[in-house]
Amino acid sequence: MSDVAIDMRGISKQFGPVKALDNVDLQVRKGSIHGLVGANGAGKSTIIKVLAGIYKHDSGNVCVGDKTLDVIAPASIEKDGVHFIHQDRLLVPTATVAEAVFLNNEPRRGFLLDIKRMRKEASDLIKKHFNLDIDANALIRDLSAAQQKIVQITRALACNARVLVLDEPTAALVAAEVSSLFRVLRALRDENIAIIFISHYMQEIMEICDDVTILRNGRNAGNVVASDSSIEEIVSLMVNRDTSEMYPRREARIDEPVLELKDASRTGHFEGVNLTLHKGEVLGLTGLLGSGDKQLLKCIFGLDQPDSGTIALNGGAVKFKAPGEAVDAGIAMIPEDRRAHGVAVDLSVSDNISIASTARHAIRGFVNKIFEAKLVDGLIEELGVKTPDRFLPVKNLSGGNQQKVVVAKWLSCDSSVYLLDDPTVAVDVGAKVEIYNLMNRLAGEGKAILFVSSDLEETVEMCDRILVIYRGKIVGEYKRGEINSDRLLAVASGGAPSGLREVS
Amino acid sequence: MSGVTGPAAANSSMNRRALAALFVRLGAFAAIGIILLYFAIYARGFTSSYNLQNVVEQSVILTMLAYGMTVVFIGTGTDVQQGGVDLSVAANAGLAGAVFVTLLNLGLPEPLAILAAIFSGMAMGLLNGIAVVLFRIIPLLATLAVMNIATGLELTITGNNVVGASSEFLTMLQFGRFLGISALAWVLIVFTIFVTILVHYSPFGVRLYAVGGFPEAARAAGLNVGFNIYFSYIFSGLCAGIAAVLIVSRLSASTLGTGLHLLPVLAAALLGTVFSRRFVPTIGGTLIASLFVGFLANGFQLLGISSYWVSGVQGALILLVVALTSFAKPAEGG
Repeated sequence: MSDVAIDMRGISKQFGPVKALDNVDLQVRKGSIHGLVGANGAGKSTIIKVLAGIYKHDSGNVCVGDKTLDVIAPASIEKDGVHFIHQDRLLVPTATVAEAVFLNNEPRRGFLLDIKRMRKEASDLIKKHFNLDIDANALIRDLSAAQQKIVQITRALACNARVLVLDEPTAALVAAEVSSLFRVLRALRDENIAIIFISHYMQEIMEICDDVTILRNGRNAGNVVASDSSIEEIVSLMVNRDTSEMYPRREARIDEPVLELKDASRTGHFEGVNLTLHKGEVLGLTGLLGSGDKQLLKCIFGLDQPDSGTIALNGGAVKFKAPGEAVDAGIAMIPEDRRAHGVAVDLSVSDNISIASTARHAIRGFVNKIFEAKLVDGLIEELGVKTPDRFLPVKNLSGGNQQKVVVAKWLSCDSSVYLLDDPTVAVDVGAKVEIYNLMNRLAGEGKAILFVSSDLEETVEMCDRILVIYRGKIVGEYKRGEINSDRLLAVASGGAPSGLREVS
Repeated sequence: MSGVTGPAAANSSMNRRALAALFVRLGAFAAIGIILLYFAIYARGFTSSYNLQNVVEQSVILTMLAYGMTVVFIGTGTDVQQGGVDLSVAANAGLAGAVFVTLLNLGLPEPLAILAAIFSGMAMGLLNGIAVVLFRIIPLLATLAVMNIATGLELTITGNNVVGASSEFLTMLQFGRFLGISALAWVLIVFTIFVTILVHYSPFGVRLYAVGGFPEAARAAGLNVGFNIYFSYIFSGLCAGIAAVLIVSRLSASTLGTGLHLLPVLAAALLGTVFSRRFVPTIGGTLIASLFVGFLANGFQLLGISSYWVSGVQGALILLVVALTSFAKPAEGG
């Protein structure tokens, strides 16, 4: 009847106090490729999970074709012709290509599996849609990333999918694979299949999509026709404008270099990275998920080793084989997942703070309890950790206070270089401000801070200098005030906006 | 589409992997061949038809239990170290045997007693399923606890005694022959065909492997992961129930110590994975491995080596197989 494949209207979803989706509409035409974009936390994945039946929406209507779905279940949504190609290749590694293509839709002869037909049809489908010869008997784990993506799409086609949802389909692919994937998607569009294409890469959105829906903070921020729009327009719709006064200012006193990376590479993660971090400087490093920023931090901290290039600390070349060596050299790491790597949640505030420095203050191998108590109490007061006493288990503290404990741990070691990996993820606004103040304080004391953040706004506001990493390469360098978050996002997304200053 | 056919690097690493896998598989066959050959030459009477039959009959029970373990491996995680395991399967058979014999001696008709034994096995399987799926206890612990429950119940029912039982049906199972093949062996043959069709030639089998191979992928494909895990454990209980009847027929009694079958069962089900191209448990692989484990114990006996060594060797076999397959397996998820 209508030419609308997916019609989601007024979708709202609340998680505790957080409104993840607020009255969001998403309409996708049959035979079109529909881009879905938004910054981290804008609600892209939430609305897709509502469509997949993983989350139940609080209010709103979902129609697939002409059918209104009152209840969506993960087990039944495929029967309605909607298929999801997940970002992580969800395939059974020990299955054959034929089994993966026909899983839960196996051709039978009576009660039995028709193995011959299954193999033949799997080969035929791949040949027909992709003009490729993949052995139907090959094991999934022996295929390349792109081949696995193709198996996933073939499975959806074997089930007569009318709607395909692709979540970051190009993340693991190289350029040649991306262009062949696009060819396939266009062919599917011409067969009147509706495709929802989620990507951080703006150029890909512009290249492949017909329409684009932009989400921001859980709301619709706009719908555009890709051919009438531009990367700049889409990005400006994505970025949050109502910046409150939450970023404390600081007079930067930038001193001599302390950490230098020359031509550092690690295959598959980053290559040819040059980076200089000065005393008293907050250096921002930002990029999309998987762009290599976090891997770079790991290499500096000795959790990983670069394949080539050098790392110098205070002018001398260093090669850390383990994090312990980096700690001894005065490098501190504040990891993103603080529960997994930053604090021992069952131990007390005191133990957590002194854990890295105990050995330094020990007297003939014994823990110096009196000194430790003084040190810990001093740091609790200095950083304003909200805790009744130093014996409280860290798990009873709020996220922001836990983060302060992590910082206190490193302060007790007298570290000179601080690697911050998205320290404000999942903490409330008040805690964010305290973390910003802490960063300013450290920089003011002449410490060097390498600040990796996926929050572009805070990167722009807090950093003295910003490096942008895209697919493993540093693609831009900006001083404070030279770039706003719109343009930063465009650069990080691989768009080439005017005025980009390439790193020589 | 040249980009999609895979760079040369991927192909060469794939070849190396395939080569390593082939090496392991051929090596396993060769090792088994050499060991059997050694027994044939040095162990008196090893190749006599009486001995061979005896070993096969002894192995019937082991194989039945190993099938149960194999289905659990398939449906709950083909990666043995992180996935599922059913440590209760042997103790479960002991309990089912006790139930069978006790009911028979109470005068219950034999078919009902057999059904009760099988039902008892499946009930313990259900308990495993509840512990693993509903309570999310890791299978190693959950089935260990159920193993103790089964052993405890068996002791309670039998009062720690050997309880004798006899019936025409049991005598027929013990001594009956058809086309020159013993009744016990027939049970195994029929059941093997049934499980092979179920696991390797039915859509259900494909899904079972998918659930065990990567639960998240199975869920994404719309499969009911919990159902398949329940099924695996209940099926293992079914195998234990049938094995219990066979045990009673062989010994004309329910005896304690059936739980000691666990180690050879585990060894057989693990060793069986070596014979598959994908290094996953298969019915054929488990059958070969079970017979080999049976011959191993028999050969040791005939060579006059203390039977105490046998369980040590079986333990070593488990270590060897698990180490070997995890080496040959590629790092997954990359």
